[in-house]
Amino acid sequence: MGAQMNKRHPLAGKRMTGAEMIIQVLAQEGVDTIFGYTGGAILPTYDAIFRYNIEHESNKREQIQLIVPANEQGAGFMAAGYARASGKVGVFIVTSGPAATNSVTPIRDSMADSVPVVLICGQVARSAIGTDAFQEAPVFNIMSSCAKHVFLVEEPEDLEATVRTAFGIARSGRPGPVVIDVPKDVQNWEGVFKGEGVIRFRGYENRMKALAEARLLPEECAEFLSLLQKSERPLIYAGGGVISGDAAVHLRQFSERFQIPVVTTLMGIGSVDTTGELSLHMLGMHGTAYANYAVMDCDFLITIGARFDDRVAGKVQEFAPNARFLAHIDIDAAEIGKVKSVTWSHVGAAREALIDLLQAGRNFKKDFSKWVDHIRRLKKQHILNYDRESEKIQPYHVIECLNEITKGDAIICTGVGQHQMWAAQYFDFKHPRSLLTSGSMGTMGFGLPAAVGAQMAFPDRLVIDFDGDGSMRMNLGELETATTYELPIKIVVLNNLGDGMVRQWQRLYFGNRFSGSDKSLRRKDFLKTAEADGFEYAVRLSDKARIRETLQEFVSFKGPAFLEVMIDPEADVYPMVGPGMGYKEMITGDYIIGRMAQDGLFDRTSKKSDAF
Amino acid sequence: MTDSSSQDPVLNNTQNTRTLSVLVENRFGVLSRIAGLFSARGYNIESLTVARSSDPGLSRITMVVRCEALLAQQILKQVNKLPNTVEALDLTDTNCVERELVLVRVRAPEEKRTTLLTEAEIFRARVVTATPENYVFEVTGDSGKVEAFLDVVRPYGIDEMVRTGKVALHRALGSRASGSQMTDPSA
Repeated sequence: MGAQMNKRHPLAGKRMTGAEMIIQVLAQEGVDTIFGYTGGAILPTYDAIFRYNIEHESNKREQIQLIVPANEQGAGFMAAGYARASGKVGVFIVTSGPAATNSVTPIRDSMADSVPVVLICGQVARSAIGTDAFQEAPVFNIMSSCAKHVFLVEEPEDLEATVRTAFGIARSGRPGPVVIDVPKDVQNWEGVFKGEGVIRFRGYENRMKALAEARLLPEECAEFLSLLQKSERPLIYAGGGVISGDAAVHLRQFSERFQIPVVTTLMGIGSVDTTGELSLHMLGMHGTAYANYAVMDCDFLITIGARFDDRVAGKVQEFAPNARFLAHIDIDAAEIGKVKSVTWSHVGAAREALIDLLQAGRNFKKDFSKWVDHIRRLKKQHILNYDRESEKIQPYHVIECLNEITKGDAIICTGVGQHQMWAAQYFDFKHPRSLLTSGSMGTMGFGLPAAVGAQMAFPDRLVIDFDGDGSMRMNLGELETATTYELPIKIVVLNNLGDGMVRQWQRLYFGNRFSGSDKSLRRKDFLKTAEADGFEYAVRLSDKARIRETLQEFVSFKGPAFLEVMIDPEADVYPMVGPGMGYKEMITGDYIIGRMAQDGLFDRTSKKSDAF
Repeated sequence: MTDSSSQDPVLNNTQNTRTLSVLVENRFGVLSRIAGLFSARGYNIESLTVARSSDPGLSRITMVVRCEALLAQQILKQVNKLPNTVEALDLTDTNCVERELVLVRVRAPEEKRTTLLTEAEIFRARVVTATPENYVFEVTGDSGKVEAFLDVVRPYGIDEMVRTGKVALHRALGSRASGSQMTDPSA
């Protein structure tokens, strides 16, 4: 855990304040960007950042950039966006009390999506803890329920090692958020900087060591290969673990080598090139029809870094009903057998497991071409589609046009709701870490700050915040952050005058009573908002004929750009597997062809949207 | 939790209790972390004891939860993810000794004292203190013995009672792998 120390830290043995030690350890961990908002209990640390950067004035590359959001939640999602896009640990620093509680949402969000971030919170001085002091909140208690781990630094001598350890915990095993609560007097304390050392966690360290060494034994590989040999219709179900485990390359090799098609979860998008022949794109509640049919048809489901969550397996008993065998590879032992019992399992890193299986199966021979042909037919027959004749702007069409420009190479960030699902369905993703989205928590308002973080990690890449009007409202304040730091983020707001996904459910299950979700009477003018925050490009698109040229000029604009697209407010997300339902109950809407009894292997699927 | 998710394993196995033993680092907030994990995931704790282990840096938590073996496994896996956890085991159905200590204040009027003491003798319950109206008994044993003792003294009238909750220990090193069930002859 912690950084590998090959030589003594040049400042080892030097006296400094706790705040200075924090910054020194961040620098040592390779942190180049901090997101955060200052305040009373974190002032010493912010002062230390300022002084650190003055000391490194001569070498800008050694400086730590500080990005100040409008709200601490924004800082958290920026750090998460940075981490999701780069794979490095994202860092955010906030003050005590309300700043810490504003950070709860991104911490929980990062936990739910296994994103490595470190949050440093100021806390009231040790003598004031527990006295209901000004801006005091029980951070340890609150964050304990949300984070991978929480430290309250009680002894200033432990501060340096604690910060270092936090990075180790955040990035090891199944990654996650770590919170360090640092009382103000600990930041002001002066002591000797050691330049090395971590807090020991013997159980955790042993488990991490075991995980690192967890290779597949020859007999385990042989057992897997014999299942593969016995199967006719194998299917890979890949999740976010493939991406966070940097196993995308190996997954692609594995799929190619054995000719096994791949469905991915929302978090797993980009683990394979979605334009590839064996890719079936996303499965689940709003997965592609062909992905879900493949799940129904497969006889061997190979789960890698995914966890059978309720948006994938709404009805667990009916999930992959024809799978004679189930394999599950995950780095988290608690995920094996949590939802679905499996035939073959392995606890360990996806990358090593795939390497071992590829190696063991180098002489493996089995022809799955009939199955691959079937997959090809499914993809053709049940292709995503929508009302192409409509007068109104269809969101899917907007994405198709934008996709012609981005060609699967952009980093796409989203909020949560219909636009998120459309983005997942209609964009191509050629690379891992290119769809940044709040998958498990489903936090509206994620997209804009995540785009800020991603752009900080990759200043030269095209970063698009593909958002909805509801999600955009949630962290609207961060528009200012994009312009302040001159980040060339491209923001698309699909405006359907309300909470579209909620309305879709209200149409389906609540008799068209749009309680709380209709915003058509609001007087919000997104363009004025963007202009007020300094956007020089702020355009509203409401003419279907101008989509292509507008998108072209929008993406080509140098600097931050804001595009509001007035879409058909009735547009819905299809296919849809209702909550708690099996894939055979999937509805595909009026434009995607559902499977009829005669051409499917199994169940008949309604294609009418009024099937409920 | 499992394939038959519609059937709540907790509800279906109301008789089933599991004894879990968790070794944790003796650090700030560890207990609240573990207790928080239980409440966050909706697991109910029947009893909970925490104290230092033979290693002063480590504490042993013994928990009794009402659930089936499969769910207990899931609970242990979740507990095992916490950085402060050193090991987490299900001691149910293993070769271990279990004990619980109960202090109980029983109404003991003059005329009933002799029979009460005779009955207490059967359970090797000790009188810790006495007043003209009461005896305070201390009894140690596994859950069965403790419950049986309480059944016997209940008719006399229990004023108040405190239980430590169960603690459990393996009989021998290496016996944790054993799945055999042995009863404690001295219980």
